[in-house]
Amino acid sequence: MLLTLIRRELLDNLMTFRFAAAVFITLLLVVANTVVLLKDYEQRLTAYNTATEESHQRLRKEKAYSYYYEKLAIHRPPNPLSIFNLGLDKQVGNEIAVYHAFVPTIWDAKKHGADNPFLNLFNSIDIALVFQGVLSLLALIFAYDAIAGERERGTLRLVLTHPIQRGYILFAKYISAMLCLLVPLLISLLLSIILLTTSTAISLNTAEFLRIGGIVLTSLLYLSLFYLIGLCISAMTRRTSTALMLCMFVWGFLVLVYPNLILTAVDTAPQPSEQISVYNQIKQMWEELDRENKQFLRNDAVLGPLSRNGEGWGFHVKGGEYTFAESEDTPAILLYFYQTGFYAGKIETESEPQVPLLQNYYRFYNRETVNTVQRTWLVRKPALEAIYIQPANLGRMLLKFSPVGLYDAATEAWAGTDLEGIQDFFNAVQHYRRAVLDYFNDEKIFESRQWFAADQGTADWDALPQFSFQRSGIDINTKRALPDLFLLLTINLILFTIIFLVFIKSEV
Amino acid sequence: MWHITKREIYDNLNSLRFALTIVLLLALMVTNAVRHLREHPKRVQRYQSAVTESLNHLTDRADDSLYKLAQYGPGNFYKKPSPLHFCANGGEPILPDTVEVDEPIVFGTIGTDDSYEEKVVLHGIWTLSYPDANLQNKDVGPDVSQVDWAFIIGYILSLIALLFTFDAFSGEREHGTLRLMLANAIPRHTVLIGKFLGALVSVSIPFMLAVLVNLLLISTANTVHLTAEAWGRLGIIFLLALLYTSLFLALGLLVSTRVQRSAVSLMILLLTWVTFVVFMPSTLAAIASSFSPARSFDEFWQQRNPAQEDLWDKYGNRLWSEESDAETLRAKSGFYTEHVERSERWREERLKYRASQVHRAHAITSISPATLLQHLIEAFAGTGFERHLQFVENTQRYARQFREFIVDTDRGDPESLHIIGVREGMSQKPVSSAGVPRFEDTLSLSKDFNARAIEILMLALFVVVLLSGAYLAFVRAEI
Repeated sequence: MLLTLIRRELLDNLMTFRFAAAVFITLLLVVANTVVLLKDYEQRLTAYNTATEESHQRLRKEKAYSYYYEKLAIHRPPNPLSIFNLGLDKQVGNEIAVYHAFVPTIWDAKKHGADNPFLNLFNSIDIALVFQGVLSLLALIFAYDAIAGERERGTLRLVLTHPIQRGYILFAKYISAMLCLLVPLLISLLLSIILLTTSTAISLNTAEFLRIGGIVLTSLLYLSLFYLIGLCISAMTRRTSTALMLCMFVWGFLVLVYPNLILTAVDTAPQPSEQISVYNQIKQMWEELDRENKQFLRNDAVLGPLSRNGEGWGFHVKGGEYTFAESEDTPAILLYFYQTGFYAGKIETESEPQVPLLQNYYRFYNRETVNTVQRTWLVRKPALEAIYIQPANLGRMLLKFSPVGLYDAATEAWAGTDLEGIQDFFNAVQHYRRAVLDYFNDEKIFESRQWFAADQGTADWDALPQFSFQRSGIDINTKRALPDLFLLLTINLILFTIIFLVFIKSEV
Repeated sequence: MWHITKREIYDNLNSLRFALTIVLLLALMVTNAVRHLREHPKRVQRYQSAVTESLNHLTDRADDSLYKLAQYGPGNFYKKPSPLHFCANGGEPILPDTVEVDEPIVFGTIGTDDSYEEKVVLHGIWTLSYPDANLQNKDVGPDVSQVDWAFIIGYILSLIALLFTFDAFSGEREHGTLRLMLANAIPRHTVLIGKFLGALVSVSIPFMLAVLVNLLLISTANTVHLTAEAWGRLGIIFLLALLYTSLFLALGLLVSTRVQRSAVSLMILLLTWVTFVVFMPSTLAAIASSFSPARSFDEFWQQRNPAQEDLWDKYGNRLWSEESDAETLRAKSGFYTEHVERSERWREERLKYRASQVHRAHAITSISPATLLQHLIEAFAGTGFERHLQFVENTQRYARQFREFIVDTDRGDPESLHIIGVREGMSQKPVSSAGVPRFEDTLSLSKDFNARAIEILMLALFVVVLLSGAYLAFVRAEI
């Protein structure tokens, strides 16, 4: 009986204009956008490769260790799954310097590449956005007359004269419509995957196919959610035109209006000025270091007079001498550091006796710098979270009151372009910085002659630990996507129950 | 005809969609106004404190000497925040709001024997520099568009226009009332125009109501001042909104005459709308931006650098001379001014190249009426990329004026050698800061209107084409 019902509904749906239109429009939009997005991804990948190669070259040019700020840079590769959901992949900086004077975070990252930044005035697009807009619309169009239409035509009465439970009818309608809606979803996704595999820039492995599977599952739940909303409206109204009108307004509200409205009403922009005390605290720690540094120099009989006004650069070392000062002072991201030093191509014999003293000084100075950074990080980390992460999470939470937000968050989590996925990368960079510092400590590079001079052996950059970053495993993606997935499922179940109750009680 | 229009309006006023439209538009417009009232005073205050600071710099330099003023120039320039920011946000967070005045470059220093202090021997003069789009955006929050008028009109109002017209003819056909109406002695075009006007009025009523509430909230607050010109601009934006709504009404009528069932009509309309309004702008922009290769900073640098090297050869050793005879000073002055000219030209070219890319993307995305409207509203609200270019132009004009002022004032001092940009060659007397011309970031409505006339005509053309299409379809339609 159930099968007969499903078959009837399925045939009813398949032979309609709306089915053909649904397949056509989804295919058109998804394929067109996949081509565009693929090209964009390839461009970003090329930019990444060039930038990596350039920083590799730049670093190799340095003869002394101390000059490595912004030359030892790590680049963030573009995520191939950003085609499905762009998330933060393009928004967040993709070049981060590794240096002992600060702990690298998302906010310290810069953008590499030579793109025209003004082109970011235009909106960006991804496949999740197409699904978000089009699939939900299609689901509603399939659902609005499912019950109201039969009621109008009188066929509902006819069906119910047979000894069938009402639940069966609902179930059959739901299953067949979902089967119909699956067709455009799956065909368009398959086509876009085929397009992806033809590109040489992308090679998808099993884990990535599983992630795409997760995206399909999420899309399915999202689709079903909107179908159920439509069915609910259809069960409650008498006339199809009313049902259609209500469906369209609900769609407009949930997809277009709510996400923009709520974030316009609730201000979730970061407010760095609220944490200015933390910034001052960090600045004080650096000033303290400066005082200790001067204290050290004053106590040193030889270096003290040689340093200019107690600054640790120069020391009147004879030889090709350059001084440098690296500093960052950005209150908005609570970044402050100040490093000075000098570099001598060749130290002349008359300055040779100073060298051990210099090494001793740099051992002290670098170790204290690293300790200071460690202390500033203890206050900087929570403050950065309060400024940036908390409002961002609040914004995302508010968006989740609409299914669109849930869908977006879940697909982002699957694709690994969500905030946590991006943070994984920066955590890896922080680990790498620790590894580099450990290497510097173990090999006594902070106190070596190569730190400031290039005459007796130069810096050996190839011996540096290598940076490697693996995207989080599929299990972690699942764990991140699961809460939103469950929420989608729960809303689905609740809606189904409501429809069931309404339909059982309704008079025909 | 008026009879039909009246009938349509009465029909619509009682419908569910009318009530829902009012609620939706009111909610959006009130949010928009509240947001503007919260944000705008902050923007104005930021602007004013920045301007005061830059004026202070100017006064300090003028009080010091004319040479100091000529060397360090005026302070940075800031873009005046538009009071009509609530109409179109115009990519505000990305666009820079300043044109910077760079500190003079120190070209050469000479070490002295007694200490490590270095003596500056070649000290250039100020240059204009155009900051890049602000991409070091530290916000990791979700990326949504702000609810401004451009969004409300572009997305919501167009959708509502379709919802009001999709069943204009197909619905009547289904009910059989179309036959009845045409049985009377009314020409078909009268029916069409009557329907069109009826729908336009019924969409305009909720929109007008929402706009009035929005403007009431904004204009009664004492933190925002709308001038007569601003009201004129608002009037134009309102008319543009009506024109844009007409476009979708005409589209709805066209499809509705051709299609037998209203459900199918709505389906076609919605899918067209989604394609043209939601997806086309972003997809086309992505295509457009991949058209032109991005030129990297290095490439620009390579173009520029040889020109600067030339300059050193051209002026040669005279630059390092410590004499202060007129010829040396003139060489230095020539070197400085030419250096400034070249780097400013180079920077301007870079900006122009980028602007041409943006313009191309604008042109391509203008196929979508939603983007067309977005650009028009931005232009009349005084925000967006075009406004930014206008601001840059204003600063360039001011820079020329400022430089002329320096030369003229210097001419007035008999002790000066009239060699601009060199300490020994210029007047050392302080200048009254009141006499120095002030930068004014002006906008002209007529200029904006002229620049945008083609786009307005294009929008009108769309409407006319669609309406005549609907007319032809309706005249030929069998009932």
